[in-house]
Amino acid sequence: MSTLEDVRQAVLVGDEQVMADLVNGLLKEGTPADRILSEGLLAGMTEVGRRFREYEYFIPEVLVAAGAMKEAMQVLRPHLTSAGVKPFATAAIATVKGDLHDIGKNLVATMLEGAGFEVVDLGVDVSPEQLVAACQSRPVDLVALSALLTTTMPAMVDAVQVLKRELHPAPRIIVGGAPVTQEFADRIGADGYGRDAATGAEVARRLCTK
Amino acid sequence: MSKPSMSSRERVARTLAHQQPDRVPIFDKFWFQTEKSFREQLGHPLVERETRFDWDTAPCAQAQTIWELFDMDMVEVAWPDYRLRFTPPEILEETDEWVLQRDGNEAVLRWWKHKMGVPEHVKFGIDSPEQWARVKPLMTASRERVRWDEFWPLYRRAREADRYVCYATVEPIEMIKDVLGHEIMLRAMIKQPEWIHDIFDTYITVAVQMLELVEAEGMVCDGAFVYGDIAYNTGPFMSPRHYREFVQPYHKRLMDEFHRRNMPVLLHSDGDIRLLLDDLMASGVDFINPLEVKAGMDVRELAPKYKERLGYCGNIDARILETNDLDRIREEIRSKLAAAMPYNGYIYHSDHSVLPGTTLETYQAVLEEVKTAGRYD
Repeated sequence: MSTLEDVRQAVLVGDEQVMADLVNGLLKEGTPADRILSEGLLAGMTEVGRRFREYEYFIPEVLVAAGAMKEAMQVLRPHLTSAGVKPFATAAIATVKGDLHDIGKNLVATMLEGAGFEVVDLGVDVSPEQLVAACQSRPVDLVALSALLTTTMPAMVDAVQVLKRELHPAPRIIVGGAPVTQEFADRIGADGYGRDAATGAEVARRLCTK
Repeated sequence: MSKPSMSSRERVARTLAHQQPDRVPIFDKFWFQTEKSFREQLGHPLVERETRFDWDTAPCAQAQTIWELFDMDMVEVAWPDYRLRFTPPEILEETDEWVLQRDGNEAVLRWWKHKMGVPEHVKFGIDSPEQWARVKPLMTASRERVRWDEFWPLYRRAREADRYVCYATVEPIEMIKDVLGHEIMLRAMIKQPEWIHDIFDTYITVAVQMLELVEAEGMVCDGAFVYGDIAYNTGPFMSPRHYREFVQPYHKRLMDEFHRRNMPVLLHSDGDIRLLLDDLMASGVDFINPLEVKAGMDVRELAPKYKERLGYCGNIDARILETNDLDRIREEIRSKLAAAMPYNGYIYHSDHSVLPGTTLETYQAVLEEVKTAGRYD
């Protein structure tokens, strides 16, 4: 008999091999899909985030944990859909115009999914107009913007300005990336800043809970 | 005030040995746009070669490198190319702004055509032990891995000018991220450790063979500048435990080869590497570069802590240089030199590369300030 704690532990050690069996076992025993998600998978990813912030985990551990969660979601998603379980919130994520870098963005997307968000990945080199269009085509609660280069920070300023000007109500906006600081985020009017992927997801969750 | 009396080579050699030089040595890197602008103003415009990228103009192929134009103390040569194949990249898609191409490592990357930057990692063809087994035989040492036509003239000029010559190369993380990408490589450290060891072993074997090959050709260097980003803004890519398990054996093999030749090792890594410093020193790293300020690296904290066990090449905040505010810049330089100079192990360098907003006049003032504040009297 598998338990929700088994699922949480499998996320923590990134054991994707056992995930399908664990989740199927719980479903057969009558555990609701939303509990498997929140008390197993998301609880595991929350702990992964904590360990990452506190330098107990590093990128390899996060990647394998995300792999395990992905395996579990393959099994769980149809059950969540049929039970009418909605994601905590929807986040659109992008690297700003002029920047092709995607590793940091992908890591943040992983942590956002682990925090219960449905993530719409808009890719790299995304213009303010593309961000607005994406937010108009579906409900988006939060936009997460990444920039790697000092030279693309002005594009982040443009993106925040255009999103706030064109969308009413505007989604919450968080920013991050190598040259970005809390001071810069405050100055350009972003709602939040993540110094790393795990903190970004935590800030996003807090912003969307308000 | 005594005049500087050492040659560049002696100045750097003494510094790398933590012996007092006449003044702090000078070395630096520049973003392409910065170098282009400085060169034009100095009357030595870049001679461009035919390429898909207007920023890829092989600075070392110039009649004089920017290091020589600023009379810097060091140059870099060799730079073996560790691609699996030396075929031209296959263009998959192209616009006025970017090009999507499959390169000699079978990696599909999207590059800007008119500006430098990290490419988008679209797909890596070598993503499994089976794919690796297919291409592994291609990874052998060969003469064609070095651009001799660019580096021989630079090497000879450096010897004539008595500059310190570094053998520049990348280390295994940097080699392999071009083949597997970071995500596959880092994930495999947990999921497929034997595969990762096999790849690292293969590349480091070739790296040592390339050092032997370059040496056999007569290009004998004074020190080694080893490039490899093993960290990002908030810390290392991997835990110290994973560093010790997967990277350190190969770092040590390479660095032992340099030390056997009496070549000190400078390691370049972006990001915050503080958690790995003790392990890096155990691997054979003598100096670190570039000490990115925005990642929390600060020579004022590190120099008193590690004293003569470690040396530093960098940490002058490029963002402060770009303000062109000479008072702020002088304070930045003086405070960091004051902290590092007592341990005789500091080389001036920006904390990565000089940004395009820095004026030539400012940069010339920076170099003068280092020569003044960096004098050992």
